[in-house]
Amino acid sequence: MTAEIKPIHQNGMVDVQNVRKIYRRDSQEITVLNGIDAQVAEGGFFALMGPSGSGKTTLLNLIAGIDRPTSGKVFVAGTDVSQLSEGRLAGWRSVNIGFIFQFYNLIPVLTATENVQLPLLLTRLSKKERRERALMALNIVGLTDRADHYPRQLSGGQEQRVAIARAIVTDPKVLVADEPTGDLDSKSAHEILDLFDALNNDLKKTIVMVTHDPRAAARAKICRHLDKGVMIDSEERELKDGVR
Amino acid sequence: MKFLPLILKHLRHSWIRTTSTILAIVACIFLFCTLQTILVAIDWGLHINNSTRLVVRNGVSLMYYVPITYKEKIRTIPGVKRVSTFNWLLGFFGSDTNPDWTKFFPNHAVDSEEYLAMYPEYILSAAEKQAFLEDRRGCIVGPDTAKKYNWKIGDIFQLRSQIFPEAGPFEFVIEGIYKVDNALYPGTHSGMMLFHYKYLDDAVHGNAQANTLVVEIENPARAGDIAKAIDQMFENSDRPTHTETENAFRAGFISMAGNLTLLLRTIGMAVIFTILLATANTMSMAVRERRKEIAILKTLGFGSGLVMALILIEALFLGASGGALGILLGQMTIKALPNFPMIGDALRQYPNPGLSLAVGAAGIGMAMLMGLAAGFVPALTAYRSRITDMLRTI
Repeated sequence: MTAEIKPIHQNGMVDVQNVRKIYRRDSQEITVLNGIDAQVAEGGFFALMGPSGSGKTTLLNLIAGIDRPTSGKVFVAGTDVSQLSEGRLAGWRSVNIGFIFQFYNLIPVLTATENVQLPLLLTRLSKKERRERALMALNIVGLTDRADHYPRQLSGGQEQRVAIARAIVTDPKVLVADEPTGDLDSKSAHEILDLFDALNNDLKKTIVMVTHDPRAAARAKICRHLDKGVMIDSEERELKDGVR
Repeated sequence: MKFLPLILKHLRHSWIRTTSTILAIVACIFLFCTLQTILVAIDWGLHINNSTRLVVRNGVSLMYYVPITYKEKIRTIPGVKRVSTFNWLLGFFGSDTNPDWTKFFPNHAVDSEEYLAMYPEYILSAAEKQAFLEDRRGCIVGPDTAKKYNWKIGDIFQLRSQIFPEAGPFEFVIEGIYKVDNALYPGTHSGMMLFHYKYLDDAVHGNAQANTLVVEIENPARAGDIAKAIDQMFENSDRPTHTETENAFRAGFISMAGNLTLLLRTIGMAVIFTILLATANTMSMAVRERRKEIAILKTLGFGSGLVMALILIEALFLGASGGALGILLGQMTIKALPNFPMIGDALRQYPNPGLSLAVGAAGIGMAMLMGLAAGFVPALTAYRSRITDMLRTI
């Protein structure tokens, strides 16, 4: 019998409390995150900026439950992710997290619909229900007409839309996006960011996004900077600097 | 199974690799099944012979003859029921300068009356037997040989002899086509030709001697004693003998069957091991190329155990497909082997029961085991891989 893990002192949908992440390479210790605190309210849109190697992706991975902190707590959707076992973490991710990669990461041998259906293979839905849901998700991202196309038959922007459809198909509580516009031209990037706005505003999805692109960050409700594993500013400062 | 389309899509996408891997397993299982069936047939052939029959050969080697005078002397030993000569003619179609060995079938000169009495497995009607015994040029042939050459009773053919080239050609009249009853006498050779020793001996002016003498005894329990008595009888002559049961003789005759079996098994295992390594390498490459996909699946919530299972099922599918095709090919080959030139004649000495259920099951089991073994390390690697490490290398 597995114990139910209940939220403890959680603020918002995502609550990162004094998180440190240290990587060990041989005898060397590299501190990637050093005492990070961050909160994202339910329905929030949080952007994380910073130079390469600042720890952005590491923090995103901790929130998405694909990595564990060395110390500190990460609460997401009511669960202390840092306490879950590997197996339970996988199950938890499939229900609560939608992950969007920079390079889309679609599976090349599957069509758009089949790619979107992948997370649904872990549910009890029938084949017909899985296809219906996948088409619904593709409809949301405006790609119903490309349902049976393979990734090689799609443009970069379209591939990223399919990846977003895959991320939202299980109706997760939190969407995490790692440089979602990093590999796109400005027009496609703009369309993807519009889609993020719609998911956030219309479907009330909580979004955590890592980006280098100030225009992408400008779409977020909160934007914070990381440098050398430390948060160096706050939302107010970003707004004052006119980033939004 | 809802994950099956995902597995099949991958296999179809890398169809060259999939096909070559399956073909490697097909070759392996085909070889295993064919060799194993031949080994089973040889082993069976070695143990079905009648233990009331002894074979006397020259004590030095089978290459030397046994004096024909020994026949009457052996008859005097208590417990001996019948004695017959058994000589090879090595008869062939074609000319001396251009023999056609592709049409070869075993042909032997025997003391017909005694021999047929000793070998009830060659079933003849009374009329056929009578006609055979009364015709000096008469012969009887097995049903397979008769069918192969479309022979019927009364047909005449000629053979030249490799052993007695100066005496040929020998003309024969088919007086009987013997029947075999594998239920009653399992493993009876169905392609043999037997003719009268007297005909051969006359043709070579009384110098045929005997390649071997077949001795029927009354009590199989006394086989050892009688064999010893025969050899003792001639031990001080210039042509000592070596007597053994028909089983032991056959084992020695087929090139020391024990070693042959070991050799075939060793070759088979070496091939299987080599193909296993090649398949394992192919699977490893396939999984290494799919690190990105494994990372994606794990990120989406596929557990490590599930990812490992998907890779193992893929490997198992390759193994099962290759195994099934290998068995099918093996079955077809085993059925056809007795009809092959040369090798077919050798194999027809042994029963051809086809691919047995046991060998087939072992083949498919081995194929699936190969698949699992080949997929295990890559699957374990995928199981252990951390998402962040894999994503970093994408």
